[in-house]
Amino acid sequence: MKRALTTGLGASGSALLLAALGMVFLYVPTEATQGIVQRIFYFHVPCAWIAFVSFALVAICGIFYLWLDQQVWDDLGYAAAEVGMVFCTLVLITGSLWAKPIWGAWWTWDSRLTTTLILWLLYGGYLMLRAMSEDTAQVARYAAVVGIVAALDVPVIVVSVRLWRTIHPAVLVTRQGGHGLEDPRMVATLLVSIAAFTLFAAWLLMLRFATLRTRTRLNELARHLALNELSRRGEE
Amino acid sequence: MAGLSAVLLKDLKLELRSGQSTIALVALSLLILVVLVFALGNEGVRGPEGAAGALWVALVFAGTVGATKALLAEGENGCLRGLVISPVDRATLFAAKMMAAAIFMAIAEIAAVALMVLFFNLEFDARLARIVPILALGIVGFAALATLLAAVSGRTRAADLLMPILAVPMFVPALIAGVKASAGVLAGRPLSGLQAWLGILVAFDIIFVVSGYLLFEQVARED
Amino acid sequence: MNFGYLFAAYSVIFVVIFLYVLFLWRRQAALEQELTALEDRFRALTEKGGAPRAKVRKV
Repeated sequence: MKRALTTGLGASGSALLLAALGMVFLYVPTEATQGIVQRIFYFHVPCAWIAFVSFALVAICGIFYLWLDQQVWDDLGYAAAEVGMVFCTLVLITGSLWAKPIWGAWWTWDSRLTTTLILWLLYGGYLMLRAMSEDTAQVARYAAVVGIVAALDVPVIVVSVRLWRTIHPAVLVTRQGGHGLEDPRMVATLLVSIAAFTLFAAWLLMLRFATLRTRTRLNELARHLALNELSRRGEE
Repeated sequence: MAGLSAVLLKDLKLELRSGQSTIALVALSLLILVVLVFALGNEGVRGPEGAAGALWVALVFAGTVGATKALLAEGENGCLRGLVISPVDRATLFAAKMMAAAIFMAIAEIAAVALMVLFFNLEFDARLARIVPILALGIVGFAALATLLAAVSGRTRAADLLMPILAVPMFVPALIAGVKASAGVLAGRPLSGLQAWLGILVAFDIIFVVSGYLLFEQVARED
Repeated sequence: MNFGYLFAAYSVIFVVIFLYVLFLWRRQAALEQELTALEDRFRALTEKGGAPRAKVRKV
């Protein structure tokens, strides 16, 4: 059942991703002012969407873990943080590749860019915490706390960064007035792409979640085995 | 209340007896200001923007070191375990630790403000009085955040490294608001014109004091 | 034309995702190795006599 779901997600996600790729390069018309680079948008936005959803999931899992004290929530939260980090990295890279030809700079301290960078640093810290510690219930609680606090911090970050940019003299005022999705084909491409990324990311999440579940069971097994070996040695 | 003052007084007494970390924090603040003056160059940075930036860099570093020390010191000799099993409840423990960190940070910041006036050629006048509430809000927020995160990273490998890695990105909104508000005040603007920034600082403080107070229980618990 | 940027962006996406899947796969392999080691220890334990006593709790 679970395996079928994972396989289904992987297959449908990959198929839709190919369809989205086809739409981006063959179907959708080129945007008038930005030209061909604007096509990065159709994969850039879904990546951002996945990253934000994943980070929200980390906080939700954290709350459930602290509340119910079940290892499943910790494993799911960990998996979500990792997947979110992969897509957050992609948002930053593709955004940079978009900004260079359009704004003439790899990086500008635009409010969205800055917020994404801070999110990346926040969840990078979360993953470092996990990498630097053992798989104990205590560390799972630490991670849950960090995930919750980070999510609470996000609205304040968004507000402060936006205010910082508007008050700061803007070097690049033109934020390409909307994204010019006048053409219905552009909307259709974006929607297909978002659907494709959602399925594909869900598949990655399931894969990572499955390995974490296995790791949890193995740890448990190893502990009991060690206990048995000790008691057997005591009898001898 | 009794538990709170007992733990807080214990920390302050310990510090009064040796005075080591206070001296170290003040020295660190001094060094950070000197480094920033060198790093930013002689001209152009001596304005309110540069001074405010230097002040907040000193706050972040002093806070990181101060909070890590306050909690890691307890980790040695199993003192934290002793505190956790004492009748003081964990939320009170958080409040006491946070206050101790805030007091040490405040001492370091007083020294940093005095040095900033000297190094950046400012005047000792009303503007400095107006910077006090801004710094106080920053100190409370960072102390709460750092206390919670020092407890989180305390029992991991490379705890002293992990704490700032977790704390600094989380502190970004308060840092932005604090630097902007301090620069405004140093440039002679009244506090009433900086309400947006003060609002962010207050919101940040509320979020981290409340969540720290509620979540410290989970962090300090031992299995 | 800026085609290079477009090409780079789409290649980066697929390369990063591919690397992540590779990384997942390697960790799965490491877990399987760990499992084999545990199985060996378990066999050694049962050969010495009887089934292990402490129950393995399902998590």
